[in-house]
Amino acid sequence: MNSPANEWKKWLAENGPRLLLFARGWCNSRQDAEDLVQDAVLKMWHHQAEKGHRTPDLPLVFSTIRFGGLNHHRTESRRRKREESVIYLNDFKDVWLDPLLEEDEEALILREAVQNLSQKLREVVVMKFWGGLTFSQISETLAVSPNTAASRYRYALEQLAHELRRIKEDRHASA
Amino acid sequence: MQALDPIETILARLMPPALSQDCQHDIDTMLDELAAPLAENGAASPSGKTVPRWLFGGGIAAAVAGLLAVAAFQQVTPKSDTIASAPASPDFVLVSGSDRIESVTDEGQHENFDGSAMHALRLSAVEENNVRDQQSGMVVQISARRDEFLFTPVTSF
Repeated sequence: MNSPANEWKKWLAENGPRLLLFARGWCNSRQDAEDLVQDAVLKMWHHQAEKGHRTPDLPLVFSTIRFGGLNHHRTESRRRKREESVIYLNDFKDVWLDPLLEEDEEALILREAVQNLSQKLREVVVMKFWGGLTFSQISETLAVSPNTAASRYRYALEQLAHELRRIKEDRHASA
Repeated sequence: MQALDPIETILARLMPPALSQDCQHDIDTMLDELAAPLAENGAASPSGKTVPRWLFGGGIAAAVAGLLAVAAFQQVTPKSDTIASAPASPDFVLVSGSDRIESVTDEGQHENFDGSAMHALRLSAVEENNVRDQQSGMVVQISARRDEFLFTPVTSF
């Protein structure tokens, strides 16, 4: 039989990217998001002790990351206020999603657009599309009704479509 | 099956990147450390050695003494700052909290470096806090499990 540690590593290898993507919505840097994921894994490990350290359900992990993210967001806002006079010259490309094909214009536009969605819309898109959660599971994670989760998703897709159209038209006009 | 929205078709061409190697390594190490006590407990098998009868009585007496000592200790010491501690932010309100000992295991005798004998008890404790996020109204339970060892010197045989 596999040890719990190995089961969890396998689970993490499968779900790590989607958890990281969700955590990115709450953090300014990839490192902070990875810390948030690690913290969630630790909390989940203790939470699952009563269940024989079975790997956790994904909606619960999203919920834990969200709760940690809320905390992180508040701490980060206070820190930013203290440091607002400091100018950062760090402009390396720190992206949340990778296109499967290089030079995929539409995918690259949508990558930026997803990052620029409002928090409420983005978390639903991430959980639904890359997290593979149902609207019912998303509604439990966000403490909203399944209808609200579904309408946020539809509204997000409309916004993404609008943004894609706008940017493509701008580019064609200037070409 | 429902047809994909054209936007979903494009989104499907984007994939979240994997965790960095450093992060993956850190979490793997953490999981190994967390799982180590489980493996030790699982691997422990009856050794076949006979245990003196007086040790059973001594073990029970030590366990009771240990529980009393821990209870007394917890009355005078403030709560430690563990992951189960309530967030300090004013936006989170501590609804309820508990700190309980779930099990006491007799770990037998251990020998000190100076040759003296110590009787060891492993206490498995769980600290739980329920906190409410003032903004969303969600109540979240944060719990942390910890193992504590209680050593008492053995002075008579």
